[in-house]
Amino acid sequence: MIKEIPDHTLDSGKRYWKSLDDLAETPSFKTWVEREFPEGASMLEGVQRRGFVKLMAASFGLAGLGMTGCRRPEHTILPYGKSPEELIPGVPNFYATSMPSAHGFIPLIVESHSGRPTKVEGNPSYTPYGGGTNIYAQASVLDIYDPDRTKTGLHRDSSDSSTWKSSSSSQLLGDVSNWVKEGKIAVLADKSSSTARKHLKTQLESKGIEWFEHESIDLSSPENTLGKAFGINHGLRLTPKLRKASRVISLDSDFLGNREPNSLANTRALMKGRKVLSANDAKKMNRLYSVESDLTITGGVADHRLRLDSSQFVAFTNLLAAEILTLLKKGDEPLIAKLNDRGSSQAQHSKWVLECAKDICKKPKNSVILPGSHLPTEVHALAFLINQELGAIGTTVEYQKTDNSASSISDFFKKINDGDIESVIFLGGNPVLTASSYDWADLSKKIKNKLHLGHSLNETSLICNFHLGQSHFLESWDEGITWDGSTIVPVQPLIAPLFDTVSDIELLLKLIDSDKSSYDFVVSLQEKRSTSVSFEDFLRLGVEKLKPSIYSDKVSLTSLDQFKGKIADKPSSENLEVLLIPDFHAWDGRFANNGWMQECPDPISKLTWDNALLISPVLAKELEEKYPNLGLLPKPTMLNKNGQIAPDAAVFDHGKQKAPIVKLTVSEDQSITGPLYVQPGLADYSIISTLGLGREKVGNVGKGTGFNSYPLFNKDFNRILSKVSLEPTGDFKILANVQEHWSMEGRAIVREGNANEYISDQAFASHMGAESHSPKIWGKDQEADLAYKARTTPRGNSSYEHPDHNYEKSETPGLHQWGMAIDLNQCTGCSACVVACQSENNIPIVGKDQVLRGREMHWIRLDRYFSSTERDGAELPSDVQVSFQGVACMHCETAPCETVCPVNATVHDEEGLNAMAYNRCVGTRYCANNCPYKVRRFNFFDWNKRSTDELYKGPLGEENDSLPAMGKNPDVTVRMRGVMEKCTYCVQRIQESKIQVKVKAQRNAMLETGKDGADLVLEESDIKVPDGSIKTACQQVCPSDSISFGDISDPNSEVSKLKNNPRDYSVLGYLNTRPRTTFLAKVRNPNPLMPDFESSPHSSREYHDKAHPVHHDDGEHDTHEEGSH
Amino acid sequence: MRNLFPRWTNTIPVKVIFALGLIGGAVTAGINYYATPKYTRVGYQPTQPVSYNHEFHAGELGIDCRYCHHGADKSPHANIPSANVCMSCHKNVKADSPLLAPIRDSYFGEDSNKDGKLSEGEDLNGDGILTTGPSVPWVRIHKTPDYVYFNHAIHVNRGVSCVECHGRIDQMEVVHHDKPLSMAFCLDCHRNPEDSLRPMNEVTNLSWTKQTDSNNSTFDSIHSGLDMKHNWGVNPPLSCTGCHR
Repeated sequence: MIKEIPDHTLDSGKRYWKSLDDLAETPSFKTWVEREFPEGASMLEGVQRRGFVKLMAASFGLAGLGMTGCRRPEHTILPYGKSPEELIPGVPNFYATSMPSAHGFIPLIVESHSGRPTKVEGNPSYTPYGGGTNIYAQASVLDIYDPDRTKTGLHRDSSDSSTWKSSSSSQLLGDVSNWVKEGKIAVLADKSSSTARKHLKTQLESKGIEWFEHESIDLSSPENTLGKAFGINHGLRLTPKLRKASRVISLDSDFLGNREPNSLANTRALMKGRKVLSANDAKKMNRLYSVESDLTITGGVADHRLRLDSSQFVAFTNLLAAEILTLLKKGDEPLIAKLNDRGSSQAQHSKWVLECAKDICKKPKNSVILPGSHLPTEVHALAFLINQELGAIGTTVEYQKTDNSASSISDFFKKINDGDIESVIFLGGNPVLTASSYDWADLSKKIKNKLHLGHSLNETSLICNFHLGQSHFLESWDEGITWDGSTIVPVQPLIAPLFDTVSDIELLLKLIDSDKSSYDFVVSLQEKRSTSVSFEDFLRLGVEKLKPSIYSDKVSLTSLDQFKGKIADKPSSENLEVLLIPDFHAWDGRFANNGWMQECPDPISKLTWDNALLISPVLAKELEEKYPNLGLLPKPTMLNKNGQIAPDAAVFDHGKQKAPIVKLTVSEDQSITGPLYVQPGLADYSIISTLGLGREKVGNVGKGTGFNSYPLFNKDFNRILSKVSLEPTGDFKILANVQEHWSMEGRAIVREGNANEYISDQAFASHMGAESHSPKIWGKDQEADLAYKARTTPRGNSSYEHPDHNYEKSETPGLHQWGMAIDLNQCTGCSACVVACQSENNIPIVGKDQVLRGREMHWIRLDRYFSSTERDGAELPSDVQVSFQGVACMHCETAPCETVCPVNATVHDEEGLNAMAYNRCVGTRYCANNCPYKVRRFNFFDWNKRSTDELYKGPLGEENDSLPAMGKNPDVTVRMRGVMEKCTYCVQRIQESKIQVKVKAQRNAMLETGKDGADLVLEESDIKVPDGSIKTACQQVCPSDSISFGDISDPNSEVSKLKNNPRDYSVLGYLNTRPRTTFLAKVRNPNPLMPDFESSPHSSREYHDKAHPVHHDDGEHDTHEEGSH
Repeated sequence: MRNLFPRWTNTIPVKVIFALGLIGGAVTAGINYYATPKYTRVGYQPTQPVSYNHEFHAGELGIDCRYCHHGADKSPHANIPSANVCMSCHKNVKADSPLLAPIRDSYFGEDSNKDGKLSEGEDLNGDGILTTGPSVPWVRIHKTPDYVYFNHAIHVNRGVSCVECHGRIDQMEVVHHDKPLSMAFCLDCHRNPEDSLRPMNEVTNLSWTKQTDSNNSTFDSIHSGLDMKHNWGVNPPLSCTGCHR
């Protein structure tokens, strides 16, 4: 059936349920749907107004008499016709699957409630990630329930026509089969580590179908160029093995963040080597040197950080290689001379490089150099050879042999221009956006049949005349390998496709004219590969070991002779440099319509719903001089004595930061406009711009967010651009930044020390903050053990008696006392916990406008602080240290929020949780006002009911699409307008675990003893939850295990041990709130011989400078200032 | 000038205010007392699409509650049985009864010749599998509000009988709402669980009553609620987090 749809964006072909009646397709619902308006809605004509009023009055009266309104509406329960196996309504099922990606599949365990996938977790069977996941995997579950998804096959007469007609996918697949018969067909695919796709690709090629691949941000491109440079006929893939690393140098490589592949394994391994629980650990702690142009989260972790423009890395690496090879006594003199010569332009860093090289060469085998994937081949070749000469290959790094890359997009266009192609299939991806330097309009004219397979209509579908919806990975069958090549993982669907969509494997199977289903195909692949493991076991475990092919030959140093090209000029204010990076929110654009990603603040800049051109304070100052009315920096006098930025009309509009919009020009036809944002820690003349936002054809969520940087891309997709000029346009843009202020202002919120300080004084953190010189919080019980303090809440020095949270009970067997410890030394700031919490706890998004009003709803706020050595009050610092601190409800034992609630909606429970009873809350917001940590969030609107642009219409506004409701966690209340909410320590998981432990204990005891009455005796240990079996959502997602949660009344629990560590401290502890969440101070490990060495971290120096000259001021000052943002 | 109104009218405003106060107070008190689940929910007895007789099945035939409500000891929800549970008997017993038509429709669905296989012309929706029919729309009787997370498994496994919240279902031809299931009702039991505990094997025996045997003190102590509470470590939550998440 073909049906005309004038505008696809208005297509309301909802095929998912709206209500349970809809699912049941009851006749009454059908008639209701078929009527244009509900019965009686359009019947007012013909009735006299007087009669109408009379009727109304009578019916109101009757309504009051009958009390019919008091009855709950009738509600039906709809059981299955035939109940599926293994499904008990109310009990979630978990399935092993994985998230496909161009840079290694991510093994996952996905939670399903009655067939609906709701929450993504990492698969702990894959040990390098240890059950951790990244932020994109967490957010991916929202994409299944994206109301803007393509819901049916679409086609139109020509690619100029604006009318899409819908038809079924199977019909379009039939058309595709006909094209194959005609021949001359090409596939342009996004890259994927899928092995299923690899098999299909060879079969396609044998049928004469041309295959091309394009990935705009191709993190695997260096492996192919490196192989070529060394004259090897395969790729060389860098795979860090950081578990044994003691010295790591990152060359513009964000290997802990989202810009490099395998960051989960890197994070887990590197941070394990930074876990400091004793002085001995501190001595063995690894050291990270980071040289980079942008400030990344890797740079935040680094012990030494050097700012360097991305174009200068060729010279810098040459200099580093020269020093290391000299120290190792490798390489002949001419080579060293050549390296020194090519590195001569970086001579000002020679002291830094020399000391760094010396440190590296102390433990050469345990050191490693990691180059960023966007850097030129020369840097990768040098890094390979340094790693080889250090003897690091095999211990801290491996190079895998990989296949050569498929034909690229330029080959594709060559074929098109030769006229050899009549039909093109775009398999996923969005090349029209990401490769905008190619002439797509011309292609569209030349090619007759163009089909796009994609999640939703995007820029690429606009040049096509056929569009097929792509099934989400939780709706499809596939299998692929992880980045390190050690494991093959399945992709198994948790739900049949919600809409009429097909997966990429299904489309490819159609192209090779196979009648196999994608399931049969994946089964056949697995059975061919493995005889020992059955397919069911493969799915059950979700991983299967593979033997990666490791490159173990030596490469001669003479291969460096080929690098002779000119060394790039140093950037200056006349010759600016641009580094293009994948956007934190949208990556290459694929997450642009994902509300969770859009609203999650960028870890460093803390921007939401937008990107910006990041510039250094030095460049900002120069621009300010050049264009006095630019409005980029506040006037120096506008900084108050604390160095706080006082509102300046040029920079702030109603307290919101205004960013001047500039035009950035690379060449005549390559320019973009975007807002400027000053970011400390950047290389002086590097501008950082992100790819993926500012899309033209995108769903409702991504509309109007950010600006598009893809026009800057050349045909070679080089991400470092030089000779860029910048010019203000005179316009401004308001940016939704959730943390405009940078500094801790010398307060001891994040406490940091150097490893040496820690070795000499493990309890350095307890000597900081006002509580270090205030009367003891617990009074005479100060030294009592944690379990006693948690159970009894001693009165301490308080004038008031503390409430007894055990309520009416005299005996309370099997109680726990919940607590959390966050090791700041393990946190990289990756922000995955923020989205994991959002997914687990049904936290809504609020949109840019509401974020600007400070109404974001995230239960975890990841605070980011910058600290610097020099501050003269007027200058923004360039060299900064970054500290992260995740702040959620602290579950204070003496919680300030509880005492001010007029309706007892927030009270303590007997296990130490600060409970929030939504159904009691009347929304006075006193609690939020009285919370010193500012972790309470208020539902100003019905975020879940209405989309962000309908909020102010209240009940008159249009209700939301109900599709996203399918992804909600049914174990957590969806909060309504006017209700306060906050972190609950994932109370639903706590209660579920407690119930399961008790049920199991009692049943097993009955089965074992045969007793069922009071003669059955259970020990207290039987009905208590074993340590480690409850994981909060934020804890479970964390790849570096920086969050621990458990029973602090059990001295042997992991969390108790951490809390008894001398590094443990409470934020704002002097307020006597006695938070159950405490932090472990951060330990940095700088090298005393380095030129930029400081004996203690910047933040610690700031604190001591401020705290010690005037001792008694500190407490008062803290009370006023802390928690002010 | 003569007074327009007689003298007694002076007290009318006071009387009216007083009367309004009384009426208002009475209405408030009335709503407070009567507009509670005890009066608004108890007795609710909707007509079900299939007139299933609990008195016959659970009482006379003695089918265990968990045969049909199989989630009661495993899941937060007790579960309304799917049509295949009914059909495991009613394939043979009263297989053609018109009263069971909705159950059969739901169970067989597209399988019009009832052979359990996809035969010619049966795949009406064209999805290649045998699709079951529409669900039987059972009308919900017992419902806690959305923000209450009641868990059947923990109650059933810790010796709290079905009868405590649902009444003598085995004596109801048509099920009705028997207990108020209000927060006060829950808390009464959470405060004094010993009154509602019974040996685990008697949980689904709705007619069970506590028996004492003056000659056998062991028997008594096995059946003592307080002892069960103590020995099992029964500690029902009294704070918000127990039920509200």
